[in-house]
Amino acid sequence: MTLIEWRDEFSTGVASVDYEHRQLIELINGLYAKLTREKDRDAALRFLGEIYARIAAHFALEERIMREKEYDQYQDHKDDHERLLDDILDIMDEFEANTGFDDEAFSRRLGEWFTVHFKSKDARLHRRLG
Amino acid sequence: MYHLGALSFFFFWIVAVSGLYLYVVFDTSVYGAYASVEWITHDQWYLAGVMRSLHRYASDAMVVSVIVHLSREFFIDHHRGFRWFSWFTGVPLLWLLFSSGINGYWLVWDDLAQFLAVNTAEWLDWLPVFDGQMARNFISEARLSDRFFSLLVFLHIGIPLALLLGMWIHIQRITRARVNPPAGLMFGTLAALLALSLVKPALSQGGQANLDVAVAEVGLDWFYLAMYPLIDLTSSGAVWWLLIGLTLMLGALPWLPPARRDPVAVVDLGNCNGCARCFADCPYSAITMQPRSDGLPYAQEAVVDAGLCASCGLCAGACPTATPFRRATELVPGIDLPHLPVRGIREQVLAGASAMSGEGRILVFGCAHGAPLTTVSGQSTAAVTLPCVGALPPSFIDFVLSRHHADGVVLAGCGSCDCNFRLGIDWTEQRLARERDPQLRSRVPRERLATCWAGRYGGKSLQRCIDGLRRNLSASSAPSATGTSTEQRSA
Repeated sequence: MTLIEWRDEFSTGVASVDYEHRQLIELINGLYAKLTREKDRDAALRFLGEIYARIAAHFALEERIMREKEYDQYQDHKDDHERLLDDILDIMDEFEANTGFDDEAFSRRLGEWFTVHFKSKDARLHRRLG
Repeated sequence: MYHLGALSFFFFWIVAVSGLYLYVVFDTSVYGAYASVEWITHDQWYLAGVMRSLHRYASDAMVVSVIVHLSREFFIDHHRGFRWFSWFTGVPLLWLLFSSGINGYWLVWDDLAQFLAVNTAEWLDWLPVFDGQMARNFISEARLSDRFFSLLVFLHIGIPLALLLGMWIHIQRITRARVNPPAGLMFGTLAALLALSLVKPALSQGGQANLDVAVAEVGLDWFYLAMYPLIDLTSSGAVWWLLIGLTLMLGALPWLPPARRDPVAVVDLGNCNGCARCFADCPYSAITMQPRSDGLPYAQEAVVDAGLCASCGLCAGACPTATPFRRATELVPGIDLPHLPVRGIREQVLAGASAMSGEGRILVFGCAHGAPLTTVSGQSTAAVTLPCVGALPPSFIDFVLSRHHADGVVLAGCGSCDCNFRLGIDWTEQRLARERDPQLRSRVPRERLATCWAGRYGGKSLQRCIDGLRRNLSASSAPSATGTSTEQRSA
């Protein structure tokens, strides 16, 4: 079972952004698989670092595209990016500090973390840019 | 010292503004010139006279600031490698500056002007192109025409304009060149020049020039006119060869040994999505964003121009993939320095962290051009050397503090306006203040972070900065449990 399925409604119409969204979904699903099937905490930890780097790069590109297209809610969207980057580091810290960890709850949190921003912010971006 | 270039620009503007005013009240005929300058100096001393003095003293000051500027850049090795362009384009500016000044002295048409006119003409006549024609203009009063004199006035406008164009070209390779000194320095300098102009106004020498009478004695302005005694002592040809030789030598300096340069930044397309942050932060415009070449569905990729790259690493400091939290794949950012990769910075951090023990462990990230870091290392202090403090991706600070590799972080670099790579300190401060991407995460405890821009001789201030941070850390951590910091350390 995968955590997030790619859906066409996720598409923003910008090839590079969509490509990175798919990559991120793959990464997050990979992390989820590690956690639930293999119970491999170390590998999951490494994955989180990777997700942080990828998502930081993805936000950087998305912000550039928003600036170039003079997206009206740029600051709002950018603030959400910054908050999400803080959040994922907090999730990593929690995960690192805790040995007895609820894998299921953790995965759900990560999945929500991704999809909420996706549905609220990126969907609007799509409507504007598309 | 680092405002010398900007100061030269400032002097240029003073000279230009005062020159414009003088042009209005100056009579451009041979027989009117001297009288109008006398009127400027004595009758309207409170405005035109001050303007004349400002014009004189600011141009002298410009020679001084330019000479010190170029000596400084030379002695701190700022003339070679990627900086060759600014150095090379600066050399012709010296010719333009000196010819503007010498040309200006003629316009007063006093004894000194006569001396200069005759000597310069003779000197120029040594060149085959003039073939003895120049000096004939000055053989006697009758030969000198108003038209020729007007030509001199126009030259005195044209050469400075060429100088300004040259100055503009001189700073083309520099993004955000500083062409205005700080307000304090600017007003202070202007006040000093004004005071000098009032106390010791610039005066003409002797009476009106009379070409039929040879000038016996003149006082020289050594800032501009040092070459004339030399012509007198040797010959026109000797001085020509000396100046040509000096110019060629100055022009060739960037390529003379000992040449050395670090390898330039490299882009790793697998980690570059074309976000253009490195492009925005490069102080030398060495990065361009070009159409994607590897087939991935991105629009652009970063491309490094090896001729412009200074190997400062600010690009790696700006790259979002350059984060030490990455561990699943090898830590290769989208853009990196081959001789000091981000991976190497991470290794230095981990080595430094494991070498430290005790309370109040402080990790210093220092630039190679700032205070020497060997002296600060000790039992509870470790140092990581960077090409420039701006080469540090801000997430390293988060990494060090959140993973408890140290209790405090100090960033040390060049003097605050004197960054060796121009923008390293500015960008770092803006990243820390969350005004520039990549921003230091807001969750990072700012009280555990200190910056010290003290320059290469600032070893003592750096030590004070480290001690100060350590005192603050122990003061704030005293009430809480202190056990967590060392126990939770993990790689």
